[in-house]
Amino acid sequence: MEVYLPVAELSVNWAMILAMGAAVGFLSGMFGVGGGFLMTPLLVFYGIPPGIAVATQASHITAASLSGALAQWRRQGLDAKMGLMLLLGGIAGSALGVYIFRLLQQSGQIELVVTASYVVLLGSIGGLMLAESVRTIRMARGSASPAPVKTGQHSWIHGLPLKMRFRRSKLYISVIPPLVLGALVGVLTAIMGVGGGFIMVPAMIYLLRMPTNVVVGTSQFQILFVTAATTLLHATSDQTVDIVLAFLLVVGGVIGVQFGVRVGSQLRGEQLRALLAVLVVGVALRLFVGLVTTPADVYSIVAGTP
Amino acid sequence: MKRFLPLVAMILSACVAAWPARSDDLVSGLSTDLIQITSNFTGTEIVLFGAIEPTEDTGPAKDQDLVIVIRGPDIDMTVRRKARILGIWVNRQQIELGGMPGYYFLASTRPIDDIASIPTLERFKLGTANLEPTLRSKVDPNDASAFRAAAIRDRKREHLYWESPTGIEFLSRTLFRARIPVPAAVPPGQYRAEVYLFRGGTVVSAQSSPLFIDKSGFERRVYNYAFDASLAYGSAAVAMAFAFGWLAFLLFRQRA
Repeated sequence: MEVYLPVAELSVNWAMILAMGAAVGFLSGMFGVGGGFLMTPLLVFYGIPPGIAVATQASHITAASLSGALAQWRRQGLDAKMGLMLLLGGIAGSALGVYIFRLLQQSGQIELVVTASYVVLLGSIGGLMLAESVRTIRMARGSASPAPVKTGQHSWIHGLPLKMRFRRSKLYISVIPPLVLGALVGVLTAIMGVGGGFIMVPAMIYLLRMPTNVVVGTSQFQILFVTAATTLLHATSDQTVDIVLAFLLVVGGVIGVQFGVRVGSQLRGEQLRALLAVLVVGVALRLFVGLVTTPADVYSIVAGTP
Repeated sequence: MKRFLPLVAMILSACVAAWPARSDDLVSGLSTDLIQITSNFTGTEIVLFGAIEPTEDTGPAKDQDLVIVIRGPDIDMTVRRKARILGIWVNRQQIELGGMPGYYFLASTRPIDDIASIPTLERFKLGTANLEPTLRSKVDPNDASAFRAAAIRDRKREHLYWESPTGIEFLSRTLFRARIPVPAAVPPGQYRAEVYLFRGGTVVSAQSSPLFIDKSGFERRVYNYAFDASLAYGSAAVAMAFAFGWLAFLLFRQRA
């Protein structure tokens, strides 16, 4: 049951890793998120060095996003032009992110930054989602329909220059917001090992005002390429990609996604969001506790060949 | 005692130059001299066995002691110390230790502090307390020893450093054996198994044999690709993810 990871230089239980890949894949199929925010902490709890966990599980997200994006493409739920703009920003962002990652790794602060960004991002987004979904569930009980998000409304974003028409999204907006949003998510992908779907999706709906039916596909399209680029950049700049670990995660992941999608389609949207929010807040709390409790040993050691 | 001095001098000079494959009154061997890290490697155990051949000079067996040391290749270690800042534990100080063995196993017939004096133990680097790493950063000496102790503690927790004061079994008056645990996380490289025979607190005989720990074919190739052909390696990882993502899409489409 044990398999040796040649780059991480330790042996793991392959059935366990496969199960972790499948479990996270299941959740990501169910909720339509990449699942990186769960996978990285899980791998670190298991004992994989954080650097290797972050870089390696990006390929797990690539595989999940590719199958998701292809499915969306078939039902026209993908704005390729918008995706391309997000992607341009994303590639630049992930290059910057890998650079920052390396600086932090050398200064010994990578763990702190990764954990703290998880706590802040997951805590705030999870909290918002939880509040929103609870409100929706209550409203549904009171049989009042929530106000739908209107597309095509004007905001400060529409005052920016370099406008471009996005047919599938039915938008005529500046390319700057998609580029910036893409770059932001690219940085997060490289540093935290997350696809960034949980930031991208709300931003596309509320900031860019894209129609909901093209949001998931477009975000998956961009995440697919950003995570692929991140894998390449990590592989070449800090050699933290373990292909054996990646293989196990990817295989487990694509199987898990299948089952997740089926279960997810039987649940109501706000119930799904509430469940996901509880999960996200739970992870954030767990990580926060780790940051503030006194460690068993205040010393930590990184060994390497000279 | 005077008779021993030339012998000790000879052994010491031999230590500096090349280790003798065999000394007059000490023979030893390893159950294997090559450990292959294969894909299902979960650590292993090797056995060092040997005999003290009685010679004319041999005194009573009581005051002779054996120490066995297995040393791994030297590695660099970065040791960081956390401190609490605004309620959060943050890495505050870090030092680099050079020349620490990546693996260190010591077995003896008695606690080593009872066998020989500290200067002797330090000279032969016997016992984890007597390992002297080179400091790559400026720190005050008290701090340095705390960092060093932390590094050793960590290695012991990982079972990469091991001290067993009773780890040598005597099968007869002259025949001995020690079991050496090799955990899964051992760094690959060239190892050395050393056997020291002490009499009255002095090394009278010593012997060293090499041990190689190496990743086997697939594991080594993967590791080498990751470092030497990192672009191709990264592309392969991406291609694999694409292939499985595509496969999942095809399966999904058929089922839906």
